[in-house]
Amino acid sequence: MDTRLPSGNGQVREARRCAVVFKPSGRVIEVPAGTLLLDAARQAGVSIETPCGGYGRCGRCRVLVESGDVARRDTYHLTADEVAQGHALACQTQVQGSLTVFVEPREAISRRYRPQEEARAAQIALPLDGSFICQPSLRKLHVAVEGPSMEDNTNDFDRLGRDLVREYGVPRLRADLPVLRTLAADVRSANWDVTAVVDDEEPQLPQQWEEEMGETGVHMEGPTRLLAVEPGDTTGRALGVAVDIGTTTVVVYLVNTANAQVLDTASAYNAQISCGDDVISRIIYSQRGDGLNHLRKLVTDTINGLLDELAKRNGIELRDIYEMSVAGNTTMTHLFLGLNPKYVREAPYIPTVNLPPAVLAADLGIPIHPQARVKCAPGVGSYVGGDITAGVLSSGMFRTDKLTLFIDVGTNGEIVLGNKEWLITCACSAGPAFEGGGVKDGMRAIPGAVQEVWINSETLEPTCRTIGDLPPQGICGSGLLGALAEMFISGIIDKGGRMRRDLDTPRVRIANNIAEYVLVKAGEQGAKRDIVLTEADINNLLRAKGAIYAGFSVLVRSVGLTMADVEQVMIAGAFGQHIHIEKAIQIGLLPDMPWDRIKYVGNSSALGAYFALVCREARAALQAVARKMTYLELSADNSFMDEYTRALFLPHTDINEFPSVGRLLEQTRQKGTAAVKA
Amino acid sequence: MPVTVETPTEKWAGKVREITLGATAAEGGTRTSTVTVGGEGTMPFLHFEGETPHRPVVAIEIYDIAPQDWSPILMDYWGDVVNDVVAWAKKAVELGADAIALTLRGAHPEVNDRSPEDSARVVKDVLAAVGVPLIVYGPGAPDKDNEVLVAVAEATAGERLALGLCEQNNYRTIAAACMGSGHIAVARAPIDVNIQKQLNILISDMGLPLDRILMDPTTGALGYGLEYTYSVMERLRLAALQGDAMTQQPMICTAGHEAWRAKESKVGEGVPEAWGDWKERGIAWETVTATSLIEAGADILVMRHPEAVAIVKKTIDQLVAK
Repeated sequence: MDTRLPSGNGQVREARRCAVVFKPSGRVIEVPAGTLLLDAARQAGVSIETPCGGYGRCGRCRVLVESGDVARRDTYHLTADEVAQGHALACQTQVQGSLTVFVEPREAISRRYRPQEEARAAQIALPLDGSFICQPSLRKLHVAVEGPSMEDNTNDFDRLGRDLVREYGVPRLRADLPVLRTLAADVRSANWDVTAVVDDEEPQLPQQWEEEMGETGVHMEGPTRLLAVEPGDTTGRALGVAVDIGTTTVVVYLVNTANAQVLDTASAYNAQISCGDDVISRIIYSQRGDGLNHLRKLVTDTINGLLDELAKRNGIELRDIYEMSVAGNTTMTHLFLGLNPKYVREAPYIPTVNLPPAVLAADLGIPIHPQARVKCAPGVGSYVGGDITAGVLSSGMFRTDKLTLFIDVGTNGEIVLGNKEWLITCACSAGPAFEGGGVKDGMRAIPGAVQEVWINSETLEPTCRTIGDLPPQGICGSGLLGALAEMFISGIIDKGGRMRRDLDTPRVRIANNIAEYVLVKAGEQGAKRDIVLTEADINNLLRAKGAIYAGFSVLVRSVGLTMADVEQVMIAGAFGQHIHIEKAIQIGLLPDMPWDRIKYVGNSSALGAYFALVCREARAALQAVARKMTYLELSADNSFMDEYTRALFLPHTDINEFPSVGRLLEQTRQKGTAAVKA
Repeated sequence: MPVTVETPTEKWAGKVREITLGATAAEGGTRTSTVTVGGEGTMPFLHFEGETPHRPVVAIEIYDIAPQDWSPILMDYWGDVVNDVVAWAKKAVELGADAIALTLRGAHPEVNDRSPEDSARVVKDVLAAVGVPLIVYGPGAPDKDNEVLVAVAEATAGERLALGLCEQNNYRTIAAACMGSGHIAVARAPIDVNIQKQLNILISDMGLPLDRILMDPTTGALGYGLEYTYSVMERLRLAALQGDAMTQQPMICTAGHEAWRAKESKVGEGVPEAWGDWKERGIAWETVTATSLIEAGADILVMRHPEAVAIVKKTIDQLVAK
């Protein structure tokens, strides 16, 4: 194996000897100038992990050159600052003089690469600046009311309301009959020392946003509703839940709206999957007999199951949850509310309602507080729903000057292009592959899911990391994306996604006439069974990424722009805690542009639902965003199919659109490829 | 007042690759004649704009066994010669074939299941009998295609045959066989510019030089999707001229196979009287299909009826005349 960097004319000369000191072990080795730092470390007996096989792809062999001269190849794993500080990848760096090198102990490295799923409590940044006060619509207000007397015989409701106006400026308090029925007893049993649980009926848009966004048609202020009266001061905790109803996955955040903290999250596959994988098959199912009701019940059961799980884990009563904020695509929202989605599917594709009203939880069979309102994010049309409005909200793109491309990779891929002045959107069917659906060993991004994959280009042996470092059970979106990229770059699959069957490795095998790559063998890392990626899985992933790429290519062109005009890209989806941007580019899911212009924003739909829960201005902004978006129908654009076929290739049929991947392939090819069976 | 009119011409950045079929003794083969196609630097036959250095050529298609599903018009014309592949090949050359396209139909598991070794022997026999280059097609069953074409490639190393078909889901074995034995691969895509380009990339990624890949964009006969093929071929040629290196392969079209599958050429009874004479109609069907494909940019036409071949070759003469 020739691991040397290109060094002049290749003539062998008597090289200078250089002493390399490795810290903290203090081992010293003398090597000729030009030796790869990684080789020097190995000769010195210092172990450095190289999951990718020394190709500079994984960045795990990072060391700190404290002093001395090195020659290094550029790498995207180090920033200019880090290079200036002396950081280097051992496999991409040559010894040029005597050196002192600090090698981080292995534990520190695994800590650095450990995903942060433990950090459940929100380190979520609101896309809001400090120029206004962000207040949740659900609030708990403590008042010590002076009880009635012959002199002051004001009725209970007005008495409470009077103090709420005086102390908190709550306008126009209203209450439903069930609240009034128990009010007299509630205030007296607490001796008039009570906490009022209130919720705004109408969202409010801050003046500043109104000015920024132009005429939005969103109400500025409305009445406030009294949901319950609790004894004493309970203002420390006002529970609400944010729910993302995905076609494939349902996610619930349990939130304390008093301090905007996410207390816990839970997710599960949407039980409607048993009635079809995508929205179209769900709509078809809804038209048969009691289908609509059945689908409504399935998703309600899924949500209720997650609520139970959260309640149990956090020692709370479901009754203490006073608001539910929901984001879902148009079909999911229809099915959840029991609206007939029939005309969503039939031309000219019309939903029943884009902005559903706030609904009583009790009316939907959700066992949180019976007065709690369920508020669904407004949609734009049949194929761009509240999940995307929520995504645009949480990404903050509706307030930026920068031309932003927002991509939500779900069962339906939705794409939004624009900035604070204009927004255009389209949707394409991507399939559930990146959520682990339709993939043999795919799974959601939960502990035990393989989320990072590296494949050694010479041995073709994989290195996997799971969420929570638990024994692997399956592969989640980011793992699938990583595996696809690694299999492609290491030459296990060709550019068409077909597995090479002539490679000399036991990792590639044929089962049921389909070629598969064994990512984890039973027993490895404590796995109970083999975890594989089949050629059929790869096809599904290719189709998913092809649809997304084609979608945004057509969208960008439709407004007369090119990808080079796009100043930032935000990618959302249920991939897992993080995805490697460079891998998403290598497989052609994302456009080839400088990585710092691309940001993974996680499950932006759930985040948007969360923002709307903890900030009533955000709830108003959802409506403004929905009204602002222009919808582009891809099926009316005949260039989509052509773009799609072009994108069904790794990374793309036109390699000129992916220059960095072209260079990487060239570099890998020069280093030689894995052994072929004799 | 006299006015000078200048013909507007396009300046193209690229051109079609040149590919030579067949190798003479000096080149390591046994052919007495070779065929070079490609090299076009313009849309078809725009002589005022760019070069068309090589004329399109016609290969006559023969089978290694008597065809069972050919139109009676074809069978009547060829007569007994279809039972002897060597005699058939010689006859085809006499009738003007620039190359022979030999389909090893007898190797198909559902026909005679002829072994790869025996099939390779048939190819050797035909090579010995004629001096023109050969295009060899497998029986049309993917696994058997691979076995047969590997045997043929090895037995005829150095002859620079064209071997096909490499398709999206089955290209590696045939392309590897071409690589090892100095042959040319025929890459067929299903009437799709992008898939054609992808297939070219995949095959060239294996290491087969681009001057040894022919592309077959898949042909529809007149009345059976010819216009789709036409526009795909036009787009491929435009891409090639614009400098896309992965679409600059010369094109080969199986005009005869498609034209003689059409009801109009295959069936003589129970059709409207207005359709006219059956034989004349069949030949016209193949002729019009082939001629349209030439105008779309085909470099090699694989045809079946010698009377159609004669008309098409005359048309080619006129098209290449400046």
